[in-house]
Amino acid sequence: MAGAGDERGPGPAAGGQQQRQRRLGACQVCPEQLAEGRPQQGLFSSFLSHNQKCQLMLLKTLETNPYVKLLLDAMKHSGCAVNKERHFSCEDCSGNVSGGFDASSCQIVLCQNNIRNQAHMNRVVTHELIHAFDHCRAHVNWFTNVRHLACSEVRAANLSGDCSLVNEIFRLHFGLKRHHQTCVRDRAILSILAVRNVSKEIAEKAVDEVFESCFNDHEPFGRIPHNQTYARYAHRDFQNRDRYYSNI
Amino acid sequence: MADSGDWRPPRPCETYRAEWKLCRSAGHFLHHYYVHGERPACKQWLRDLASCREWEERRSAEAQQSLCESERARVQAAQKHTLVWALRQRPPADWHLPLSQEKDK
Repeated sequence: MAGAGDERGPGPAAGGQQQRQRRLGACQVCPEQLAEGRPQQGLFSSFLSHNQKCQLMLLKTLETNPYVKLLLDAMKHSGCAVNKERHFSCEDCSGNVSGGFDASSCQIVLCQNNIRNQAHMNRVVTHELIHAFDHCRAHVNWFTNVRHLACSEVRAANLSGDCSLVNEIFRLHFGLKRHHQTCVRDRAILSILAVRNVSKEIAEKAVDEVFESCFNDHEPFGRIPHNQTYARYAHRDFQNRDRYYSNI
Repeated sequence: MADSGDWRPPRPCETYRAEWKLCRSAGHFLHHYYVHGERPACKQWLRDLASCREWEERRSAEAQQSLCESERARVQAAQKHTLVWALRQRPPADWHLPLSQEKDK
């Protein structure tokens, strides 16, 4: 596998007795876990293991979330149909990572010990599926080209809802005019630093170089989906694409 | 543009109406300002809705041309930035392969 041998970064590890270090192409750091809302409560959930909760929440996301349903359709259209058992893995992770995309195994890792509620799961799956979509449609050099990594992280932060006004307020980041772009930039840099042994200056430079292009690349949504209504409209447009392109 | 005999608006007229209503909503104003720092421009959706309805009622050639030009402009606006990476001709060969048993690297 290409890439430096001295990779560091939290990385998820397989739960249980055996440590398994993954090399993540991209990941989502989530130091503000408390701001995501309270963990799911209830008598039923207290009997479930982290893994079982992760699996149940993942299933609900895949079946109901409009962001994810569009991404799954788009990936199928690109030749990368997603299979839950093959392409998703709920694992314990070290550090503050919520999830990651393992490009070497084409698998999305969900950090079952760090994803605490359904809204968070929805967002993590959307974020990582954007990386998977980029891997499917483009030659992304995850491990050897920090600009490629930066581009995918900008897109994921931009299109997944990571930087919605509500989420930023929960993080106590207050800003309105063009604040979304500030958030996307900052979160992309954080994500790069979580998976690559590069300096903050290099990460910032890479993000700044690709920002104009990648912030405006809204595939497969065609727009920035600010909430589920926008995501549903985007999915509607995706399903209509044959009619659209044959009549313009 | 498709052959005139087979042509129909790129989107159903109801979609133009829904996009116009979404664009004009207070929520969209807030989202757009949060992202772009300016108010959204919604008039083109209304023009497209009018063109769509005119074509449905009278099969107007001007309405057809107006819609095509408007949508082509949207496509061009979305594609004006050079991509950072090269697009694939085929999906990754290992996408569907079973997971390797050898996990440690």
